[in-house]
Amino acid sequence: MIQISDLNYRVGEAPLLTEYSTRIAQGEKRLILGRSGLGKTSLFKLILGFRQPQSGTIRINGLELGQDAIQEIRSQIFYLSQDIDLMDGKVEEVLDLIFQAQPQLEITPHDLEAGLEMLALSSATLDKEVGALSGGERQRVGLLIGFLLNRPIWLLDEPTAALDSTLKEAVAQRILDSRYTVIVISHDPVWQNHERIQLERWS
Amino acid sequence: MGALDLSIPSLLSFLIFLLPVLWLSRKLDLNIQRPLLTGMVRMAVQLGLVGLYLEFIFRINSPIINVLYLLVMITVACQSILKSSGLRFRRFLLPLFFSLLIPFAVMVMFFNGLVARIDNLFDAKYLVPVGGMILGNCLRCIIVGLTTFYSGIRDNEKTYLFSLALFNHRITALKPHLKKSILGGITPTMASMATIGLVSLPGMMTGQILGGSIPLVAVKYQIAIMFSIFYTEFFSLILALFFTMGTAFNRYDILEKRIFLTHRD
Repeated sequence: MIQISDLNYRVGEAPLLTEYSTRIAQGEKRLILGRSGLGKTSLFKLILGFRQPQSGTIRINGLELGQDAIQEIRSQIFYLSQDIDLMDGKVEEVLDLIFQAQPQLEITPHDLEAGLEMLALSSATLDKEVGALSGGERQRVGLLIGFLLNRPIWLLDEPTAALDSTLKEAVAQRILDSRYTVIVISHDPVWQNHERIQLERWS
Repeated sequence: MGALDLSIPSLLSFLIFLLPVLWLSRKLDLNIQRPLLTGMVRMAVQLGLVGLYLEFIFRINSPIINVLYLLVMITVACQSILKSSGLRFRRFLLPLFFSLLIPFAVMVMFFNGLVARIDNLFDAKYLVPVGGMILGNCLRCIIVGLTTFYSGIRDNEKTYLFSLALFNHRITALKPHLKKSILGGITPTMASMATIGLVSLPGMMTGQILGGSIPLVAVKYQIAIMFSIFYTEFFSLILALFFTMGTAFNRYDILEKRIFLTHRD
């Protein structure tokens, strides 16, 4: 569960979030809608501890965001940013690096193949340099990492912007059918037309 | 037997070559006239002063003064490193000072005691030139290492944050940056070890030969000093990265922009 209380965050003199409070139950799917510049991406950065609010509290599954809990909190969240920035190297090396750092995780070749197939990626993609991936491929590799990491909370910032319409629908469906707690920031209609998703409009 | 003394007019005779340099600089729009002249004058004045106080230090040869002299050199080196790396002096002076001091002290004592086997470990004749040579080489290595590391994280912040979210742990997320900065720092010395003697004769060896040592003795000293330089560089850079990290990141493992001289709140 994500519980945010009285969050105030400003950059310089410009307030981005004022007394923002919300509660997202376990397994809930939430779509945040609003024009850019309202602080939607900042909300994700605050939840991940990348930025610090001036006041307010953030609790993730009962843990209050702070120095002691930050690693535990991050380990429960999968964050996919708008223009996913992977480290340099071949896709396979990057995946190895990520999964080696999660000793509790057991990923079989079958899991990897299933993930690749679902995201319409060929195994040749694994041999490509990250820098040589197209926008759509990067996004799909990002989603592949998310599905394989299988973390309980997903924070997604425009996760389907670079995908074709068939894949958009499949990815959105898969995420919405999951047990994950999800917050999506997206202007993509594919997320709005689902009954499972709750809309939160920012103005 | 020592090297022949050079007269002041002999040294000044080098100015003959300065004229075409200045002329070409003007013609080619290099605009190096002013910095070049300043650099040359500074070099002459600084080295002149060094000569004077080295004479004094060698004559007194007090272990305390010798050690104090090296400590001052380390402090000046820290200042120079931080300025060149664009990092804030107050924040990093202490961690950087100790990251230089520890490997440097170990290596100089090792060199004097176990390699050169001199009776007085703090003898100015060995301590000051050997220490100076090691320190001078460490300077470039640590400047490259720290600049690559901190600028790399700042310039690729999104990648770092994404890695941090994936790995949860700062050191794992920083691994590519650590690797790049350590390699950037030590590669020139490794390359220079591989080509030394083939494409260049090192200054220390040349100095020793001019000073009257037989080439084989000069070579042995040069090998010893290259080992010392490399090990000190390597360990100083590792320590500098880890010691400065403590103050460069906030409690959520995010790089503080305030560490950079160019940052304005």
